[in-house]
Amino acid sequence: MAAIRNTLLLAALLALLIAVPPFLGLGWQNALVNILIASLFALAFNLLIGQAGLLSFGHAAYFGIGAFAALHLMIAIEDGFPFPTPLVPLAGAVAGLLIGLIAGYFATMRSGVYFALVTLAIAELFHSLAPRLEAVFGGESGISTMRMPWSGITFGSMLEIYYLTLAWVLICGLGLWAYTRTPFGRLTLALRDNEQRVRFLGYSTHSVKVIVFAVSTMLTGVAGSLQAISNETANYSLFASDVSAQVVLQTFVGGSTVFFGPVIGAAIFTLFSFLVSDLTRSWVLYQGLIFVLVMLYAPSGIGGVLQHHLRTRRQLDWRSLSGLYLLALVGGVLITAGAVFLTETVAVLFGEEYAVARRNAGGGLPDYQLFGASWNPAGILTWLLPLVLLAGGGAITVSTRRHISAFWNSKGQSPDTSAKPISLGGAA
Amino acid sequence: MEFAIISTLNGVTYGLLLFMVSAGLTLIFGMMGVLNFAHASFYMLGAYIAYAVSSIFGFWVGIAVAPIIVGLIGMAVERFLLPRVHAHGHAHELLLTFGLALIIEELIKLFFGDFPVNYQMPGGMRFSAFSIFGADYPFYRIFIGGVAAVMFTALWVLLTRTRTGIVVRAAERLPAMAEALGHNIPMVFMFVFGTGAALAGLAGAVAGAFYPTNPNMGIELGVIVFVVVVVGGLGSLKGSLVASLLIGLFSSFAVGLDWSLASLMGLVGLGDWARSLGGLMTLKLSSISATIPFALMLIVLLVRPAGLMGERN
Repeated sequence: MAAIRNTLLLAALLALLIAVPPFLGLGWQNALVNILIASLFALAFNLLIGQAGLLSFGHAAYFGIGAFAALHLMIAIEDGFPFPTPLVPLAGAVAGLLIGLIAGYFATMRSGVYFALVTLAIAELFHSLAPRLEAVFGGESGISTMRMPWSGITFGSMLEIYYLTLAWVLICGLGLWAYTRTPFGRLTLALRDNEQRVRFLGYSTHSVKVIVFAVSTMLTGVAGSLQAISNETANYSLFASDVSAQVVLQTFVGGSTVFFGPVIGAAIFTLFSFLVSDLTRSWVLYQGLIFVLVMLYAPSGIGGVLQHHLRTRRQLDWRSLSGLYLLALVGGVLITAGAVFLTETVAVLFGEEYAVARRNAGGGLPDYQLFGASWNPAGILTWLLPLVLLAGGGAITVSTRRHISAFWNSKGQSPDTSAKPISLGGAA
Repeated sequence: MEFAIISTLNGVTYGLLLFMVSAGLTLIFGMMGVLNFAHASFYMLGAYIAYAVSSIFGFWVGIAVAPIIVGLIGMAVERFLLPRVHAHGHAHELLLTFGLALIIEELIKLFFGDFPVNYQMPGGMRFSAFSIFGADYPFYRIFIGGVAAVMFTALWVLLTRTRTGIVVRAAERLPAMAEALGHNIPMVFMFVFGTGAALAGLAGAVAGAFYPTNPNMGIELGVIVFVVVVVGGLGSLKGSLVASLLIGLFSSFAVGLDWSLASLMGLVGLGDWARSLGGLMTLKLSSISATIPFALMLIVLLVRPAGLMGERN
């Protein structure tokens, strides 16, 4: 019964993904492509931490490798190499797999926190080496190319790119899901839970880890090559640590313990950056704050909290709970408003434009514009408003949180503690 | 000869700076099992706080205040944030500090901008310590090395020669037993975390005046420091000292050497062939000096996965 419902849900989602985009504007189509790519990236990343208990801080390396491999293949196609354009991501898959086998061999020598550090260092290795290797990575400016038409499809419009991306992401996502059902996928889980025992059963844990790592980097390579197809260009900044950081944030905010959790995180973050990155320069700061708050108060992520509610939905008394949740939402909105106001005020007051304005005003503190109003930096109201918002929101949230956890405790389980600890693949 | 001596001096001072930061990291890890990803951000925070304070109260006040503030921030993190995620395992502690590192970097960009700030040593310290082969050697490099050396000695004496040191080492080895003997272990943990953070802050305050102070300095140094602890073995102060010096020396020698794979092949008569290949073959060692620490790490992983002084996995 549940399986049929899930299948129907997925089919409906798929129908939406296929039917809606033609009616959307170019910007939204582009945003959807980015969401799909980020989702695949996060799913591939989560194979390591969610399944194998290996936390990688350097997945940007394989994303970049996939992108550059795809670009080189596209350049070859441009020069007359007969290869169907829709299959270009295969180049990313192969490159990701090969580099992943080598990098994974080194990285999985150590487990626990060492693994995280080694992956980070390997990504930095690429980041520092790439600008020097002109022939492969095109120096500092990178390389670019054109998408070539294939059997009547020009790949000129965003919509065609969207459907190509959708097809690849679906195939890879379903493949990954199927992978978790295979005996080898189960072995991956066992590796996370008790590496010693897996070794005792006669498996070579190092080889298993290398293979899992390579599968993850292969799909990461596919995601990278999809981005290369969509952008037609790439440079060494793809190897930078903020690319690796992004996927970590998205995966854990979405929830790494649920298979589709990373997709939630990737979709939310990519959508938000599409919507607000023009409005604020502090988007990464907000992302960091959201991530830390999720780590502190909902360690299983959005996906984990949703799953918990779905599981216990029959026992829930929604009449009393929905009121509490609404209150918590109000508190959250107030805190957000206060925090955003403070951040943007600081951004304005410490910005270069304001420094110029101050010089023009002869060293005083001229008023500044924010959210369509004029504020006086020395005024009491300017600082009282965010503080009142923060204090009020904080008070509401703290008291509602107490009620909500009392409610869950009376049910015998709390969403906070139901999150299983993620072990880091054996002792450090 | 000139090159060798100058490079050695530079390498040792840079290595000692790396050690100042990695000492706190490895001390905290050895004791609590927490890998503090934000440790290099504390280093950056130290540089920026020292810059902000010194622009009003002068250089020495900045150097003195920065480690104290950073240490207090470190204590607050250990007291209020880490216990919340402790129940969810080491992965969540690592992720929490990872998020903190991100926030610290963005806050610094918010207040000080994306570009480097003009944090300089006082004019009185801008003289050459000695001249060697006609070149002046800056006194400030010696000063950085001296601060690190004093710090290491103080730390070593504190840990091995005082009562406090005995309690700290006991808390590291058997926390439950030490607590049963009546020592306030949570307080010890908090102070160790604070001390580690303060050391990083001091390193930032001292080094920021010599090296560029910009929002990337945290991650740039942080990655090298992580390489140091992988090479040296986490939890071993001696290991991180050896690895810091090793990486410092390798990097500073690499900057001045024009060797490439092609010149290596030239020794067996394949030089021209290798040069015709280009690419990796003709890359000069000096141009990829930033890559050296990572290559060194890979070699150590191959030869001795546990690190130079680390315990077996």
